[in-house]
Amino acid sequence: MDFSFVPLAFGQLLSPLTIGYALAALGLAVHFGFTGLLNFGQAGFMAVGGYAFAITTTEFGWPLWASILATVLGSVLFALLLGIPTLRLRADYLSIVTIAAAEIVRYTVKTPAISSFTGGSDGINGSSITFDKLDPLPDITYGFGVLRFTNDDLWIAIVGWIVVILAAFLVRQLMRSPWGRIVKGIREDEDAVRSLGKNVTWYKMQSLILGGVLGGLATVIVIIPTSLQPDNYGTQTTFFLYTIVLLGGATTVFGPIIGSIIFWFVLSITDGLLTLLVANHLIPLTSIQQGPIRFILVGIALMLLVIFRPQGIFGNKREAHFSV
Amino acid sequence: MVKARTGRMRLTRWVLGLLALAFAVSALAVGPAGSASAAPTPVPTPAQTAAAYPQSIGIWVRLASDKSNVAGVSVLITGPKGFSQTVTTDKGGRALVGVPYVGDYKVKIDVASTPGGKLYPTTGVAPRIVAVDKGDPGIPAFFLLSPTIPNPSSGGSGGSGGSNQPTTSPSLGDLIFPRLATGLIFGLLIALASVGVSLIYGTTGLNNFAHGELVTFGALVGYTVSGLWGMPGWLGILLAVLLGGAFGWVQDLGLWKPLRKRRIALIPLMIVSIGLSLAVRYIFQIAYGPDLLVTPSDSSSFLNLGPVHLRFTDVTSPIIAIVVLLVVAYVMLRTRIGKATRAVADNGALASASGINVERVIRFVWVLGGALAGLSGALIGYYQPVSWQTGASVLLLIFASVTLGGLGTAFGALVGSLIISVLVDESTIVIPSNMKLVAALLVMIIILIFRPQGILGRRDRIG
Repeated sequence: MDFSFVPLAFGQLLSPLTIGYALAALGLAVHFGFTGLLNFGQAGFMAVGGYAFAITTTEFGWPLWASILATVLGSVLFALLLGIPTLRLRADYLSIVTIAAAEIVRYTVKTPAISSFTGGSDGINGSSITFDKLDPLPDITYGFGVLRFTNDDLWIAIVGWIVVILAAFLVRQLMRSPWGRIVKGIREDEDAVRSLGKNVTWYKMQSLILGGVLGGLATVIVIIPTSLQPDNYGTQTTFFLYTIVLLGGATTVFGPIIGSIIFWFVLSITDGLLTLLVANHLIPLTSIQQGPIRFILVGIALMLLVIFRPQGIFGNKREAHFSV
Repeated sequence: MVKARTGRMRLTRWVLGLLALAFAVSALAVGPAGSASAAPTPVPTPAQTAAAYPQSIGIWVRLASDKSNVAGVSVLITGPKGFSQTVTTDKGGRALVGVPYVGDYKVKIDVASTPGGKLYPTTGVAPRIVAVDKGDPGIPAFFLLSPTIPNPSSGGSGGSGGSNQPTTSPSLGDLIFPRLATGLIFGLLIALASVGVSLIYGTTGLNNFAHGELVTFGALVGYTVSGLWGMPGWLGILLAVLLGGAFGWVQDLGLWKPLRKRRIALIPLMIVSIGLSLAVRYIFQIAYGPDLLVTPSDSSSFLNLGPVHLRFTDVTSPIIAIVVLLVVAYVMLRTRIGKATRAVADNGALASASGINVERVIRFVWVLGGALAGLSGALIGYYQPVSWQTGASVLLLIFASVTLGGLGTAFGALVGSLIISVLVDESTIVIPSNMKLVAALLVMIIILIFRPQGILGRRDRIG
């Protein structure tokens, strides 16, 4: 029996998915945990940001800073498009429009007619050119045992974690500021905040933009060492993010980050364990049927978390009742 | 002060309208679809017939002189991803070829197989290029044969036609009416599911994000009964309705009712519904695999109305849907349980105080919603191939429909479904078919800006 999946699971700590999802989940925590916005389309923000970066980098040959600016702008525009019609309405309208918009983004980028830009269903490779040029690490292999990283892998992991920590610090300071008190007030009682003369819709919009930009930047971290695949930004991505956020604690800053680490570690361990069981015929499943298991587990975990521990691991129960 | 506020609101609307317009224009600028699609459909086996695919090419070969049908002509169809198939025209001079991919197909007449081996297509184009859009059945490829050689170089049967001239552009009616027909048919099918979503929302306040899985469930039941077990189609549809209702009942009993008892708020309930949707969807994938599943049916043209060609199931499915929707309307308007349902939807506390058993009404609504979704799924199985994620993709249209019609209004859901579905299909005249859902999103955004309560909704519902 091959137990190498155990050290590999620890390698998830430096995996682009863990880092990227931590940032995207932080964005979702700004929406859902702090402001009470039910954004079911964080995958859409991720896709818009990712495509903005990948297209400007690979097609237009823009420098890194310009591509990142494009990512931010794309996410802001997407937030405006979804937020203006829905934020003055009840919470469920935002959820419906965002889940639909995210799927529509995914279908649209796969359109053959624009595949010269978007790469169609194959997505876009090679978003790393501008970023890897800045790599100061010597070109050798790092790590030990089964855990091996190239210098470029390590470079994006380091920069990625720095970005995540900076973003977490920013969100933490924002939430302690008057602005943070207002958005948290909106979560608790929108009418009360409105009666204090605050423009609730505008604050919600700012929150949607902030979280959306974090989602867009998250994709940049994910696609630099890998590639941009449209189908990685379906509804299941948003649902993963909800699981991560609720796991760590939606109303905390570091909850989503720890949540992402735990989430990908557990997923990696379960995948490895399942592969082992399937390969040794210990459970009646084929290797094709094994793939969906992780989604089923995440779905069930999400339901159980919301029902039995809505505040997550680090959250405060008082903050997590999500009244409508 | 008030004036300034309305002024700002108007400005917001304008800005958003402009944004939407810019979005639409950029979609337009892309131009109509033409190239081969790379849709993630699994590669089907070549043995499958026209019924296997949502799109097909209808070939019709006649003599130019007296318009009589020519049988026994062999026609070669080649298309994207190496698709190649040869068919022979039947007694009516027709042949229907199911094609798996969206894109341009070459349809070429084998001159040697024509009567006498000396008849040539008058169009002078060999082969003819036919653009296939997603879900278009029976795209016409008609040929008139005459003894004159239109283009000496295209006589051979090698299929190396160099002059690839597209077919003459179809008339406006040919563009609009087939899409109107498919839009109305599919609209009626999703209306069944939308009404369920609307009823559940109306009585419990829950936006059920797992409703798409109820639709998939119905589709898979229909496929299992008539596709796998070879039983008659009506039995599959009936079982889909019954088991769909049972699924709704079990869901309410096992999950939603205990959660109501725990007084879980609506937002966590919606998150529970996305968790459920994810888990159930992938359970379907384990059980049925990732491929497209085809419920067997007769795919030949049953009813031809000008440019509109309908299969037998295209005629019967909407009739079933209309009858069922009428029955639901009768139940809602005339029976005790229907009146009770509307009372609960209007004001649950008041209904409860006036002696209505709210739990019983909610149970009824879940069973009804499940049964309608099951029927919707089974009929969708006859309209197009289904898979484990059919419901997830239909859910978008369902949500767009209920938003357009007005959240929580059952009749609004019906109207919304028809409008959305027709609009989405008609939009493929000007935008590539893969982008047709963008039209649904735009409608949703515009309706939320200008009339957030929907067409039939009441102002106070949006809170």
